[in-house]
Amino acid sequence: MRRIAWLLLAVNSVLALAGAAEVRPHYGGTLRIMVREAPVSLDPARLSAAQGTRIFPLIFEGLTRFDTHGRLQPQLATRWQGDSSNQHWEVWLRTGAKFHDGTPLTAEAVATSLRAANPAWAVSADGDSVVIETAAPDVELPAELALPRNGITHRAGNKVVGTGPFAVSDWQPGKSLALAANEDYWEGRPFADSVLVTLGQNWRQQIVALELGKADVVEAAPEQARRLSSAGRTIVESPPDEVVALVFTRSTQSEDEVRVRQALSAAIDRVSIVNVLLQGQGESSQTVLPNWMTGYAMLFGQEGEKAENARVSGSAGTMTLSYDASDPTNQLIAERVALNARDAGIRVQAVASPANADLVLARIGLASAQPQLALQVAAGAAGLPAPQFQGTSPEELYGREKEMLQSGRIIPLAHVPEATALGPGVNGWHADLAGGWHLADVWLGSTP
Amino acid sequence: MSFRRKLLLLFTLTVVVAVAAVAWTVSVITQRAFEQSEQERTQALVAQFHREFNRRGQEVATRVEAIAGSEAAMRMALDLSRQPGNAGAYVNEAASEAKPHELDFLELADAGGSIISSAQWPAKFGYKEPLLTKAGQAPSSNAFLKREDLPNGTALGLFAVRPIRVSDRPLYVIGGQRLDQEFLASLELPAGTRAMLYTAGGGTYSPGALVDAAGPVRQAEKLQSLVEQVQATGAEQSGVVSWSSDSADSENVDAIPLKSEQGELLGMLLVGNSRRALVEVEARIRSASLLVAVLALVVAILLSSWMAARVTRPVEQLAEAAREVAAGNWQAQAHVDASHELNEMAEAFNRMTRELTEQRERLVQAERVAAWRELARRLAHELKNPLFPLQITVENLLKAREHGGEQFDEVFRESASTLLAEIANLKAIVGRFSEFSRMPQPQLQAVDINELVRNVLQVHQAQLSAEGKPAIAAELKLDDKLGKVAADPELLHRALANLVLNAIDAMPRGGTLTLRTRAGADNFVIEVSDTGSGLSKEECDRLFTPYYTTKEHGTGLGLAIAQSVVSDHHGRIAVKSAPGQGTTFAIELPRHREDAAQFSAQTG
Repeated sequence: MRRIAWLLLAVNSVLALAGAAEVRPHYGGTLRIMVREAPVSLDPARLSAAQGTRIFPLIFEGLTRFDTHGRLQPQLATRWQGDSSNQHWEVWLRTGAKFHDGTPLTAEAVATSLRAANPAWAVSADGDSVVIETAAPDVELPAELALPRNGITHRAGNKVVGTGPFAVSDWQPGKSLALAANEDYWEGRPFADSVLVTLGQNWRQQIVALELGKADVVEAAPEQARRLSSAGRTIVESPPDEVVALVFTRSTQSEDEVRVRQALSAAIDRVSIVNVLLQGQGESSQTVLPNWMTGYAMLFGQEGEKAENARVSGSAGTMTLSYDASDPTNQLIAERVALNARDAGIRVQAVASPANADLVLARIGLASAQPQLALQVAAGAAGLPAPQFQGTSPEELYGREKEMLQSGRIIPLAHVPEATALGPGVNGWHADLAGGWHLADVWLGSTP
Repeated sequence: MSFRRKLLLLFTLTVVVAVAAVAWTVSVITQRAFEQSEQERTQALVAQFHREFNRRGQEVATRVEAIAGSEAAMRMALDLSRQPGNAGAYVNEAASEAKPHELDFLELADAGGSIISSAQWPAKFGYKEPLLTKAGQAPSSNAFLKREDLPNGTALGLFAVRPIRVSDRPLYVIGGQRLDQEFLASLELPAGTRAMLYTAGGGTYSPGALVDAAGPVRQAEKLQSLVEQVQATGAEQSGVVSWSSDSADSENVDAIPLKSEQGELLGMLLVGNSRRALVEVEARIRSASLLVAVLALVVAILLSSWMAARVTRPVEQLAEAAREVAAGNWQAQAHVDASHELNEMAEAFNRMTRELTEQRERLVQAERVAAWRELARRLAHELKNPLFPLQITVENLLKAREHGGEQFDEVFRESASTLLAEIANLKAIVGRFSEFSRMPQPQLQAVDINELVRNVLQVHQAQLSAEGKPAIAAELKLDDKLGKVAADPELLHRALANLVLNAIDAMPRGGTLTLRTRAGADNFVIEVSDTGSGLSKEECDRLFTPYYTTKEHGTGLGLAIAQSVVSDHHGRIAVKSAPGQGTTFAIELPRHREDAAQFSAQTG
């Protein structure tokens, strides 16, 4: 039910946008956007699995993609086929696609690009298809091909170009990125002539820029979404696709440590964190994957089921909990965790510096609507061993996630949506379930 | 030590003690006055602190009142009265209100005491505020002290609570200002005074919890005792804390307990008052006292010298006069120009010397008369003995002449012989007297005493073993290491011979004559001992008096001559005897001529 509710919300948001802008789409204009991420390289192969969901898909396209309903669709591929072992995959390529420098998309170019991003894969070109062989069964491979890090690139000297709707016109690493519309885009020229991306802007800076009319699209903190919405801003929220969790920097060394971590998990008042600190934007959770993605979250216990013996006797020392100080909400969550921990007899000190911390308050984007891949991405982002899947059954997914939680390395707190605030002239907005932006369909126009 | 020095010392000591006593008294009185002043100053300071506390408390209460009465607060209260579940929307409200109202602590809580928003600990929403959850106890309307929990510890603060009443379930605004080093720095303190704050309350002493306006108090452990006294008694305590070996580097510290409304000890305010001024004044007083004492000592010495001289001069004049009298100047007079008592003393002395002189003259006259009488008696006695035989002999001659015949010739011969013998006897008597009157001055030369003693014994050897008398044994006990002495050998021989003859006469039934020589520390000693019947004490006392003798036929001049000779050699002669135990005469002669002067007075 919850999944359906989120889907309806997303659809309603789009419909609301469409209804609000009762004008025809038209070309032209510069779309000004701001993001928190600040990459220093435009090479997708250098990204981790969880990175690059916002910017890189504008320039680089994968062989597959997720649509706004979370379904896997072909992009530069037309179809794919895996054998029974899930180790041998063949992907047939779309014809007519070109890189920004005019080079046609070929199987050799795709194979070269995928080999650079995935050294463990054996990738070869086979006519108009590429063959990918993995060392272990990999049922999520088609979904992995949709990750930004598997965007298809063509290297011309020092330049890395893609096939996406926008081409790079200016690049200031970590600061700004100017994109120009790809006139030869195989899916048709985007409406906006150019996109100007300002990198490394925190939520506050982005909101201020939006308020001042210096940006058209900005990211918004989930807890700010309600206030902005009530203030008349257009807010588009994704399903809760980001997990807020405590990630321990090392494995448990003793039974006492396991008990302390269990007591800490039981002591945290997740509902208050969501209702107050996140202003109700999101849902409390004790799982890595959100319930809308798996449907089994209730099996991991409900909030309020605090263990009777949650209180730790004796001294367990002081644990340091680091958080990203650029987000004030993170600090509040970290201090709330420390306060709840104190009630359980556990000393936790919240510090802004991440150095030598015992645990980290992390916000991990799930990066994919495909749960197995999302779990692998989350594990990678948390520094945990990636779970391996033999198939796509819910039972196996449940088992892998349970193993991850029982390792004691991660304590999920909540799942929060990704919110995007749009300026008054932004029309035709689309976003997928994993938070990706489809800017090729966005056009700029006056507010009715 | 002379009388003058003793007087000088006495006067000086008296003055020094008096000055020291005065200086000590002044110092003590000054110290007490300063301490009282310091105490009053500290009390005034403490009173000022109390006023400052009250003022700050009023200030906090006013600010909290302003927040509670603000439009934003009323709006929030209205919203929450309609939608109690909407409290999460106000989680940052306290933080945004605290800063403009200059409050370090601000919490908004609902009627049940649950925190809606906390500026000092934003994550504490939903927790209960203990102030509002005490059953049957309404929050105080006055400012009060409270210990506030913070993410990184606790802090002391001055708090006030005000309700926001828009429905039957009010909201509460709890605001406060932190009591910390900034609070201390904001206080206006007189020079030499500082305020410290101990924020740990009861329990084990924590030096890190003690701060002053500059930060953590250095050497905070030195205040541990005072803090613990306050913890134990719960009442204000004071004490002196020395920060270094320099006594000026110390403070009078007054520790005032800071308590909650329920009487719980939350912390302490310590007011330190530097003792530097007091110690420096005390040091100046000591220096001045020392200077005065030194000056007084100098003046005392001068005055004492003058006084001692004034007092002792008559005494010294008396002493000088006494010494002159002792030296034989019986005409010496004390001329004293002094006070009445000393004048009387001098006159008494002069009267005494005059009377002594008169008595001495009378005594000399009497002794002279007695000597003449004794001499006349001795002469009469000595002369009467030969005269009586002369008279008998002459009468016998006359009787024989009357009878004539042959008997006359025979009588004549016998009488002539007797007459000659008695005349010779008279001549001898006259000769001895003549010899005593003509005692010559000694002609000194180096004399071997042992040789002299042997000669004397040899001369009288025949008398020791005379026929018809019991034999007397002679013993010589001579010190062979004895040196030579400056003496007249003939006079010394005569003196020693007299002693030997006396010893022989003392032993009519025989005995032992012992001659002994030995060296004393400063003299040579010659001893002549007999084993006769000995002498009584009275006899010993009169033994050397001229013409005194214990012998039937003695002239009484032998020992007088011996004493005269020894005295002329600046020596001394003494006798030791007791009845039945023999007699020993000892002649002591000085080794050196200059030492002889010591004996002259004793023998004279």
